[in-house]
Amino acid sequence: MIWLETIANGIFLGGLYALIGLGLGFAFGVMRVVNVAQGDFIVAAAFIGLYLAPWVPINPILVIVPVAVIAFLIGIALQRLLINRVLGHDQIPQILLTFGVAIVLRNAMVAGFGANSQSIDVGAMRFLGFNLLGIRLGVLPAVILVIALLLFAALHLWLHRSRLGRLIRATADDYQVVQLQGVSYRRVFAIAMGIAMALSAVAGVLLAMRGSFTPYSGADRLLIAFEVVVIGGLGSFWGMFFGGMLLGITQLVALKLDPASGLMYGHIVFFIILILSPNGLAGAFRRVVLRK
Amino acid sequence: MSLLSVENLDVFYGDFRAVRGAHLELAAGQTIAIIGANGAGKSTLLNAIVGLSGRKSGSIRFDGRDIGREPTDRIARAGITMVPEGRRLFGSLTVEDNLLVGLAAERPGPWTLEAVYALFPRLGELSKMTAGSLSGGQQQMVSIGRALMTNPRVLLCDEISLGLAPKIIGDIYRCFETITASGVSVVLIEQNVVQACAAADYVYCMLEGHMSLEGRPEDLSQAQITAAYFGTGEALP
Ligand SMILES: Nc1ncnc2c1ncn2[C@@H]1O[C@H](COP(=O)(O)OP(=O)(O)OP(=O)(O)O)[C@@H](O)[C@H]1O
Ligand SMILES: [Mg+2]
Repeated sequence: MIWLETIANGIFLGGLYALIGLGLGFAFGVMRVVNVAQGDFIVAAAFIGLYLAPWVPINPILVIVPVAVIAFLIGIALQRLLINRVLGHDQIPQILLTFGVAIVLRNAMVAGFGANSQSIDVGAMRFLGFNLLGIRLGVLPAVILVIALLLFAALHLWLHRSRLGRLIRATADDYQVVQLQGVSYRRVFAIAMGIAMALSAVAGVLLAMRGSFTPYSGADRLLIAFEVVVIGGLGSFWGMFFGGMLLGITQLVALKLDPASGLMYGHIVFFIILILSPNGLAGAFRRVVLRK
Repeated sequence: MSLLSVENLDVFYGDFRAVRGAHLELAAGQTIAIIGANGAGKSTLLNAIVGLSGRKSGSIRFDGRDIGREPTDRIARAGITMVPEGRRLFGSLTVEDNLLVGLAAERPGPWTLEAVYALFPRLGELSKMTAGSLSGGQQQMVSIGRALMTNPRVLLCDEISLGLAPKIIGDIYRCFETITASGVSVVLIEQNVVQACAAADYVYCMLEGHMSLEGRPEDLSQAQITAAYFGTGEALP
């Protein structure tokens, strides 16, 4: 029973990890841009959430809505003002640029908020639990998983059903040719970065509700995001979701067996998958199940 | 007055001048063809017209307006689009989604989804298929249909017959009668000289980045074309 509980909690945590990866993976999938500053933006979103949460009506968890809107606008500005200027065949300028943004942002947060550990207060929900099949689970982690699932599903549907979603998928396939159809890929890129940042910001706020964060947490968040994206199979949508699950479950099971292990076993699983299937779970799925 | 006019165009890849003082005139309703050997600079010329090449100098005028510095998406919205070399479909999208991307140009006109399916009935049957899974000929139809969906005034086609079976090439070229009848002016790049002369009102031959010969197909002799194509002008009587 204790293992069932651990695995259930691993799934809850994994949903959140998947969401952390989604922003990075979506930006990479559409633009082939690796935004190294994503981890620090996640932390910045947590700070914004921290200050906005007390003002949010009904339930503090709804703070994800204004934070997502703010992050969307920041993402558009980031892409338009900075990243669009260094697009090209070479990805090094983008990585250096976003790395610079990450450093500036991190130091600004340390200067502005101090280096103390913080957490977003969600009130009583933090301690509520429910029974399922004889095991006791937390309400907050379950709600967070549901939010992550809804965001994955919503993004998937929007990309496949809406006009703008179609343009984003077309731009991801060939950003040059899409211009011949009258589409400004720079505008599409800006919107895609806005969406990526909004998704990451929601993940950052939810993570700050479950646990704590400091201005230095960005690197850890980025590492999780990278692992989720790579385990999933670069840009594979549902691959990322299961990648997050795998990391979450591994981490909690390992902590049970070896309380001092932290994220180590998650990293080990990441390495094993990278060696066995360099194109991630999606690649393994294609090979083994679809036999392609 | 010509609808599209290119004068004294140079296009560079780094230091290499791939197009050297090229020129071209396209009148409304006309179909012209550009022939030339591999590496003559045909694709570079068309890419430069739609703003997809790198550094260029010279004059490109569309409907009297200089479009030499416009970005590709603005040029497409103004009414020039291209069927790119190698088809370049949005491979993960369905046939129908590929076509619908053309709506982004926001140019109303005769070319709708129904009109494209009427032109290429096979595409209607395949509308829900992923574009990447189609045969070469079907993909070329999608690529042409996608360009038509922007309701262009000028359609540039870069080697639409590349790698296709003769019967399919014939089928596709027959569709151009409908396309030109709808008022679209066409520039064809074609390696097959016979095909080009049959389809076009006027033919340019490119050699090493410039026009080595031009004229109405009926006015050009086989020997002239061969000389201009291979650059063996001096060797011939
Ligand atoms: N991206 C590029 N970078 C550098 N050189 C290029 C590039 N693209 C083409 N070239 C060179 O420019 C010249 C013209 O190429 P282009 O593709 O325009 O020829 P083409 O007439 O379309 O030939 P083909 O019939 O093979 O399509 C060639 O010498 C080619 O090697
Ligand atoms: Mg070519």
